[in-house]
Amino acid sequence: MMQPYLDGMLTDDEVAEARAHLEECPPCDRRYRFEEKLRHFVRVAANEPMPPDLRERLASLRATAPPAA
Amino acid sequence: MSESAPTAAETRRIAEVERDRARFEEEALELSDQVYRVARRMTGSREEAEDLVQDTYARAFRAWQQYQPGTNLRAWLLRILTNLNIDRGRRAQRSPDLQPLEEGDYFLYNKLESTLSDENPDEERVIERLSQNSVVDALAEVPHDFRDVIVLVDIGEFSYADAAQILDIPVGTVMSRLHRGRRILKQRLAEKAVTV
Repeated sequence: MMQPYLDGMLTDDEVAEARAHLEECPPCDRRYRFEEKLRHFVRVAANEPMPPDLRERLASLRATAPPAA
Repeated sequence: MSESAPTAAETRRIAEVERDRARFEEEALELSDQVYRVARRMTGSREEAEDLVQDTYARAFRAWQQYQPGTNLRAWLLRILTNLNIDRGRRAQRSPDLQPLEEGDYFLYNKLESTLSDENPDEERVIERLSQNSVVDALAEVPHDFRDVIVLVDIGEFSYADAAQILDIPVGTVMSRLHRGRRILKQRLAEKAVTV
């Protein structure tokens, strides 16, 4: 239940149920906050911006003329 | 039938198709950052990711008329990308043996927490025991079937349904791979956690 809750995949009723449980269960609540922070950390750490020259190479693959600058 | 000069209606139709095509190409290019971000973590190196994204765009620009306007273009592009990536001869990998469920799920938290002297450290400080490189390395060690799902949902922020469509697997499989993949990721992270 924890993972779908974090993924925003539960129904409204299930979300209410999950919230109610977290409020009265400190160990679950701590784990929930840990998982949430971990997910955010992974997203930020794994983010590598696209090299600028790749952007240009992709644009050159177009069949149509690029829009006038 | 001999070729004749195009009629005004034909010329107009051709111009419309060109306009649609140019619009498609622009919209696809606007998503290239997000496509690269996913590609980079699905492959082992920057070069591989760049090649894969380039091949994806070359194919997308050729097959542009197969895209249904109004549907999710980012998912459409990533479907091409994952198919190309699989065509490149990725072999099936066995998933590593995991620790029992409970331990696997809480192992990372417990290990990180144990490196802190506080009685009740807050989650922020627990997470600080991880480095950015350890996340990248740990993710690379997750077998690709599991990693692809994590990359799509956790980094690409796709829904389970979109991830299922992109990978051509049932939603239930997305959920089970995600669950298992995150456990593998956490185990790898725990092994790399900074200990003082």
